[in-house]
Amino acid sequence: MKIRSHILMLSLLFVSFTALAQEQKMSDTEITAFKQSVNTVSKKIKSLSTDFVQYKHMDFLAKDIETAGKMFFKEPNLLQWQYKKPYNYSIVFKNGKILINDEGKKSAMDVGSSKIFAKLNKLIVGSVSGDMFDDKEFAISYFKTKDFNVTKLIPKDAALKKYIKQIELSFDKQDATVNQVRLMESAEDYTKIVFKNKILNAKIDDSAFTN
Amino acid sequence: MQKSTIRLLPINFFLVILLVSCGMNPVTKLEKVPVTKTTFEAPYFSDSKIDYVYKTHISVYGNNLSGIFVIKKIDENWHRVVFTTEFGNKLLDFEISETDFKINSIVEELNRKILINTLKEDFRLLLKKKFAIQNQFATVSEAIYESANGKYYDYLFVSKSGQKLQKITHSTKRKEKFSIHFQSENNIFAEHIAIEHQNIKLKIELNYLKNE
Repeated sequence: MKIRSHILMLSLLFVSFTALAQEQKMSDTEITAFKQSVNTVSKKIKSLSTDFVQYKHMDFLAKDIETAGKMFFKEPNLLQWQYKKPYNYSIVFKNGKILINDEGKKSAMDVGSSKIFAKLNKLIVGSVSGDMFDDKEFAISYFKTKDFNVTKLIPKDAALKKYIKQIELSFDKQDATVNQVRLMESAEDYTKIVFKNKILNAKIDDSAFTN
Repeated sequence: MQKSTIRLLPINFFLVILLVSCGMNPVTKLEKVPVTKTTFEAPYFSDSKIDYVYKTHISVYGNNLSGIFVIKKIDENWHRVVFTTEFGNKLLDFEISETDFKINSIVEELNRKILINTLKEDFRLLLKKKFAIQNQFATVSEAIYESANGKYYDYLFVSKSGQKLQKITHSTKRKEKFSIHFQSENNIFAEHIAIEHQNIKLKIELNYLKNE
């Protein structure tokens, strides 16, 4: 009897987990409402700071490669990623330049020198602020789960498509900001970035974006 | 014109001396000792259950490039090697054995024959498991095993105290081509690896990334 109730509980748990993960397509009205709420919120984002954990998944590895740190964004296009664990690495996107500090070793390059880097940069900034609904650049589809609204973007640009097959952005249903980004290189390999402890519109000085 | 050529000559001569002296065959001045083993098995990168993940810094002719190297033994003869940026974008993905080499993917910026051949040679030696020993040399602290490798020789420097493989030098009879330096606590896993070239200004540093 006891065993049976355990099995029942386990299967109930399993059912609820699958329900959590299950995605449903959004209806047209839902899409319009969702886009509107994201646009309204992203217009209000003047700055954003957040902790992040990055998981690099490759199918031939036993474990995902996990790195973590802090990210800062300030309108219109100041962006810094600071990896703190397990190494110190910081990358700043500023005035068309990329500044890197790799455990004290500093370097700089022009975003413009590489078209693909400029596109990736736009994509990163866009995925943080949620400002990504560009139908010219991407084929976009919309889904919902219990807690998240999910957009899947397939690049139209052939050069970008070579590096990234699909981008998945999960938006928190509560505040309409991006909670998770998944950059898929292939069906098997992807980078997942999960944001935690987001702070919107706190004062961040321009001078914070240095390396 | 002639004057400047003459003036340059001593400088060139000095450069030649400098280049040769940096990259000499490492056992030129050492005495041969009797061979104590006929094969040497390199301990690193041999466990197929381990994901070998390294934060990497590459300096090439003053330019810097960083990222993450992932190395995995995928069967008895093959290793898979992937180089990504810190963001996780794959820059290079290849599979390598002692005799074969297969590129799964490479970004355009890195797709240069000279670069691919250099990496191929470096990683083939880094991941080589068995070395047949023909000659042996010694210093106060190290045993040095000589293993023929095509028209080259590989010299394996093993500490006398801990029996640790500390360095492999890839060399002709006269000149060193490149060396791989290892730092290892347990002689199973190398925490720090540096690949240094003598004929080109290239240094690849790998630091083990604790993935817990």
